[in-house]
Amino acid sequence: MHKIGLLSLLTLFLAGTVFAQDKFTISGTIRSKAKGETLIGATIRVADSKTGTSSNEYGFFSVTLARGEYTIEFSAVGMQTKQEKLNLDRNITLDIFLEEIAEDLENVTVYASRKRSLSAPIMGVEKITTNEIRNVPVLFGEKDLLKVVQLMPGVKSAGDGNSGFYVRGGGGDQNLILLDEAPVYNASHLLGFFSTFNSDAVKDMTIYKGGMPAQYGGRLSSVLDIKMNDGNNQDYNVSGGVGLISTKLNLEGPLEKGKSSFLVSGRRTYADLFLKLSNDSSINKNTLYFYDLNAKLNFTLGKKDRLFVSGYFGRDKLGAANIFGLNWGNATATVRWNHIFNSKLFSNTSLIFSNYDYKVSVAAGGNDFDIFSQIRDYNLKQEFQLYAGSRNTIRFGFNAISHRIRPGEIRPSETSYINEQLLQKRYSLENAVFANDTWKVSDKFNLSYGVRLTGFTILGSGDYFAYDDEGNVTDTFSYKRGEVVKTYINAEPRVAASYQLNTLSSLKLSYARNVQNLHLLSNSTSSSPTDKWVASTNVIKPEVSDQYSVGYYRDLGGNEYEFSAEVYYKDMQNQIDYRDGADIYSNSDAVESQLLFGKGRAYGAEFLLRKKMGKLTGWLGYTLSKSERLIEGINNNHWYNARQDRTHDIALVAMYQLNKKWSLSANWVYYTGDAVTFPAGKYVIDGRTVYYFTDRNSYRMPDYHRLDLGATCKLKQTPKFSSELVFSLYNAYGRENAFTINFRDSKENPGQTEAVQVALFKFIPSITYNFKF
Amino acid sequence: MLRISLYILGLGIFFSSCEKVIDLNLDAAGKKFVIEATMDSRPGSATVLISTTKPFNDLSSFDGVSDATVTIAEEGQAPVILSETSTGIYRAMSISGTPGKLYNLVVKIGNEEFTASCRMPYPVTLDSIFVEEENIFGEKMNIVNVEYTDPLGKGNAYRFIQYVNGNKESTIFVRDDEFSDGNKISARLWYSLEEDEENRINSGDDVAIEMYCIDPAIYKYWNSLDRSATGQTQSASPANPVTNLRGGALGYFSVHYVSSKSIVAP
Repeated sequence: MHKIGLLSLLTLFLAGTVFAQDKFTISGTIRSKAKGETLIGATIRVADSKTGTSSNEYGFFSVTLARGEYTIEFSAVGMQTKQEKLNLDRNITLDIFLEEIAEDLENVTVYASRKRSLSAPIMGVEKITTNEIRNVPVLFGEKDLLKVVQLMPGVKSAGDGNSGFYVRGGGGDQNLILLDEAPVYNASHLLGFFSTFNSDAVKDMTIYKGGMPAQYGGRLSSVLDIKMNDGNNQDYNVSGGVGLISTKLNLEGPLEKGKSSFLVSGRRTYADLFLKLSNDSSINKNTLYFYDLNAKLNFTLGKKDRLFVSGYFGRDKLGAANIFGLNWGNATATVRWNHIFNSKLFSNTSLIFSNYDYKVSVAAGGNDFDIFSQIRDYNLKQEFQLYAGSRNTIRFGFNAISHRIRPGEIRPSETSYINEQLLQKRYSLENAVFANDTWKVSDKFNLSYGVRLTGFTILGSGDYFAYDDEGNVTDTFSYKRGEVVKTYINAEPRVAASYQLNTLSSLKLSYARNVQNLHLLSNSTSSSPTDKWVASTNVIKPEVSDQYSVGYYRDLGGNEYEFSAEVYYKDMQNQIDYRDGADIYSNSDAVESQLLFGKGRAYGAEFLLRKKMGKLTGWLGYTLSKSERLIEGINNNHWYNARQDRTHDIALVAMYQLNKKWSLSANWVYYTGDAVTFPAGKYVIDGRTVYYFTDRNSYRMPDYHRLDLGATCKLKQTPKFSSELVFSLYNAYGRENAFTINFRDSKENPGQTEAVQVALFKFIPSITYNFKF
Repeated sequence: MLRISLYILGLGIFFSSCEKVIDLNLDAAGKKFVIEATMDSRPGSATVLISTTKPFNDLSSFDGVSDATVTIAEEGQAPVILSETSTGIYRAMSISGTPGKLYNLVVKIGNEEFTASCRMPYPVTLDSIFVEEENIFGEKMNIVNVEYTDPLGKGNAYRFIQYVNGNKESTIFVRDDEFSDGNKISARLWYSLEEDEENRINSGDDVAIEMYCIDPAIYKYWNSLDRSATGQTQSASPANPVTNLRGGALGYFSVHYVSSKSIVAP
């Protein structure tokens, strides 16, 4: 019913544009002159008015105005504003090139990051620029955009060194991470200490904290949309860096100047090269490395078409000589085609391939075996952006994804005593159709409304099961290849409204429903690459969340500061957890036997104050929140705190441009410890102390806080070559933050039991040398 | 096996970490009964230990519970009463386990009753054991290897107890046949060295391995205990081990077949 209503509204608007004869459209693409890179979110404003638009994710813009003379202002972060005077008596196409602001200005009054829009009817969204990623000090000097995202209010880090994150009380698997539209299933290297993103080649990064517009879907809590650079189509560029842990190299340049370009970016760690120097064969046979490789080609085919081909390949290899090996990685490839139909209609077609797999190798003296698991997607996405009239922008399209999961395959060697075991492959189709209209109702009131209709179809071949209350299989249903097991259909309405109170402040509210059909089963304290991705089945229902939020936004100090306050409430259904004593390494087709289901709720208030101009920039964020679960069979069917429930979460980030040579940065984080289960008593079994647990997650880990410092020193700076040294100190005052708390019998006082805290990092310094040709 | 390897490869080796003892304020819960009931094929082996949970800060000791009525019955036979030989320890001479038979335990304490059943598995014995030196990241350790033949048919489970010069190794070794049904097994008993390295197997040490053929429910008990109740846990949510006792007690009832082998470490 929603769909019919939306279609009729759509028709009305389209009809409206046809009959307004005295309106013409200015459209085109906005780019950087020096590099030819398209500019995302650049502002196109009609001087002395409130009319305007912003460029889309491919740099395309379109604005419809009445016949007349106008001065149009084009601006973007870090770029000089350009003005174009024109006489609008027909549709005009403009290709705009903006010049970069020269870096030798003494008084730096440049925006550190893009100005957020008070009027845009979208909330729960934060944009982070490459500058901010570059300047925030991080562990081992490895610039990591995921660590910077964790400094935003509402986004909580999964723990020391861990690149996993939780958004508004949701689980770690409820975040959709997109790299040039391809989903990345495991964005962590080295068991979670580093992320898979090479921040040097990133153009734009946006995080949607639940209220995403209808073109996004598939995960409950957030979408992290990362866009890579296209590649300088004017000049060749070589840049790179040498750090303590890894080395990276970026190469970009034109294939045909102004028309096509390439970008190759790679990173590799080399801790293992040092291991090879050892004479001890138990050390030099160990492997410990990871690499990332991003490659991109883009072609401009005429005035209306652009083609992009991009790929990402990354792998981690951990191995202990001849005993054990762990190898995992992502591979994604996308082909995208932009087509501009006319001044009002932009289209993007994407074909996406995404693969994540891991392999565990165990060699036990002739009893070798491998465990292999994989998730593979083929994805077709079609999106139209219709800039209908001067008041409406309509996005609509469809998305069809085919998922194939190989949950686990045990492959022994010839002499091994382990039997071969192949879990059945799981097939499913995730289809969605969406439409969203952003409607400028009046000068003060903007509305965005849309719906995403998803159908998740589980297909054979395969066996699916029915269970009793204890998780024992009671029935088996066998399906042939291509036979439909079950289809789940869900409508996800997405509505947001903004009301501009005055030029400096606005009020926004939104409601969004999200559905998730891929679930990550994990039971460890830190995310493990061997966590299992499982699709919805006849027993595992799609997770559903409803999020309501209200926000107040204000610009302070004459545009120097941005303040926002948002309050949200999120309801989650069909949440999954493991039974007590579940065998998570069990390799059985009947995976649901280990699972329990229930619901969750999360609510909180987020405050953010951002300083965007001047020598000192940065932000202060504070979140007050709660996240709970109620799962049948856990905690006596009472609500319990989710592990990631943290009452207070504070992040203070400061970046200071001291002079032309030096810039300094610091960040301080503080958060309430995770909710944990501690013993309520102890007893003796088999002569040893065993701990007795009652309530789940009713205790707290100690509070976590940490200060990181960083400094960048610019060395040679000539047009042909520039270099810099980056210093950082992680955990500058050496706070021992608890990573785990264990219990054991005391050796000093026999008979007494003690709690032992393990902390990871203290005072970790690092130096990185970066260069650019 | 997978779990142990991940733990080894985890943070302990690569990143230096700090450990310190801290004070925690833990609320004590109401007392729960703990019943550890075992029996094997030898007469006089039927032993039931009954105690209760204690608050965290109390002395860790076995505080036996007296005046309980404990019986074990072989299916189709009359129950045998176990008498209290010392505080909290109940024994009987006149019952022992026969492979393949089902046994029922009944414990009455005050007006509470706890029951459990366990079927004694068929005997599987060790073919041989040997000690081999393993080299992990530069640390040389002697590891015991056990060899046995798993009978065809899933549902076999085993527990191994390692004694070095008479001292029991605290690591829990349990295996099942989910991935190795019907095969000749040669498995390593991986353990980690304690801080004072007292549990290290040195050349010349007397090493004895006891092999228990256990019921799958008992395998689940030891597995879940090892994963989440020993105090050193990788699990995100520690919980009580999955017990085969009914009525709300902690612990287990296991009727198992025991055999052993010993060697001197080379």
